[in-house]
Amino acid sequence: MNAARGLWFALLFVALVVLHYTLRPVLDWRASIDFLAIAVLLVAVRARPGVAALVGFAVGITSDALTPGAFGAGALAFSLIAFTASKLKAAFFADNLLLNAIFVFLGKWLGDLIYLAAERRLGASEFLAQALLWSPMAAAVTAVVGLGVFLAARPVMGAPRG
Amino acid sequence: MLVACVLLSLTALVLPPEPRSTVASALRGTVVVPLAALQERAEVSRRAVLAYDAAVRVADSVRLEASQADVVAAENERLRRLLGLGAALKWGFVPAEALHGRGLGDDYTMTLTVGRDEGVEPFSAVVAPDGLVGMIERVDARSSVAIVGPHPDFRVSAMSADGSSFGIVYPHLGSGATRFLLELRGVAFRSALRPGTLIVSAGLGGVYPRGIPVGTVLSEINTAEGWARSYLLRPAVRPADATSVMVLQPRRSKEGVATAWQTAVDSALRLVVSAGDSLARRRADSLATAERKRLDSLQALQPRPDSAVPPEGRP
Repeated sequence: MNAARGLWFALLFVALVVLHYTLRPVLDWRASIDFLAIAVLLVAVRARPGVAALVGFAVGITSDALTPGAFGAGALAFSLIAFTASKLKAAFFADNLLLNAIFVFLGKWLGDLIYLAAERRLGASEFLAQALLWSPMAAAVTAVVGLGVFLAARPVMGAPRG
Repeated sequence: MLVACVLLSLTALVLPPEPRSTVASALRGTVVVPLAALQERAEVSRRAVLAYDAAVRVADSVRLEASQADVVAAENERLRRLLGLGAALKWGFVPAEALHGRGLGDDYTMTLTVGRDEGVEPFSAVVAPDGLVGMIERVDARSSVAIVGPHPDFRVSAMSADGSSFGIVYPHLGSGATRFLLELRGVAFRSALRPGTLIVSAGLGGVYPRGIPVGTVLSEINTAEGWARSYLLRPAVRPADATSVMVLQPRRSKEGVATAWQTAVDSALRLVVSAGDSLARRRADSLATAERKRLDSLQALQPRPDSAVPPEGRP
């Protein structure tokens, strides 16, 4: 990745983070778009697993600062999905759009499951409702938006790093 | 790297609340500041968008109430003056509500909500705080009908307020906007009245007692009669505006009401002033009570000498 591409990539990453803290509160959907998950998966596609895990940790711990009750849960979830996504990108990040969408969907859903398990805040019934209803819905919405972002970013990102 | 990140995350998760919140607040005070500000602005914007409709509704309600406030203030003023007139008359009157119809002939008469049962008799004068309204023509048990200024049969023996000129007030049988005006006819030729002169009832004829304002002179009317003058009057009371009136009972009319219209305004003012005084008195009392309570509580907090600290000069 040359410098110009790197700059565009960084701008795209920052834009997604900014959208997470501006558009998401404005929309205030029950199943909301997770722009941070898209940003982390975007990095995971381009970076090595270790770096992806580090970025995931940084993004997660930053978002956890605004939810001190579950401090560390987001960091754990983003670290794990970033690392896993980076490991599995060769299998998922192909020209097939459906696979890209599934990549984002699974990333977001698994991230939510890890987060919910780590924060240990919800009771059994609420956990099940969140894990099996709201999280998949949020993951689906995020997958749709993430697919658009991946398509828009493809010229900038180039081929995934193996 | 993953192991380090996972370990750090798990450490953050199992940290006791105090160090955890210390780390979180350190992050919130540094790298998260712009993100938190962004989120705050976004949420404020969202609330503003959601609150817009409610704010518009509130603004509309306030505007509506503000527009009605003028009407309420005018109503208060009218009732206050009616109270003033009632206080000045003291006895011999029946308060009534005037009902205005919208049919033909309703400009000439008004229906009152009082009748024979309340002591209303035919040919009684109907008055308002501003002056003469008309005369009772028909009386039923619980209602009555009064003829008012524009009625062709309306007549009042009248004079200028200083008593220098006399005449008879007739309806001005003009058309259009001048239909509600009155005419003062038969004024002696030597008595020239200037516009704005107050015309009151003269008390001749036995229906209207002396001293009730009838109208004010607008201008002189040119007539063919060479021995008397006629004047156009603006009525003291527009019948359409009279909603609360008083029917003077004949005994009260015989006693005379001339001073009532002079004192009505004064007594209304006195009512307002006394109401303001009592409010001020109540406020002063409540302030004094609050001050007394404050001093009492301060005294209660003063340290008292006890056995552990002997008074000065004692061992």
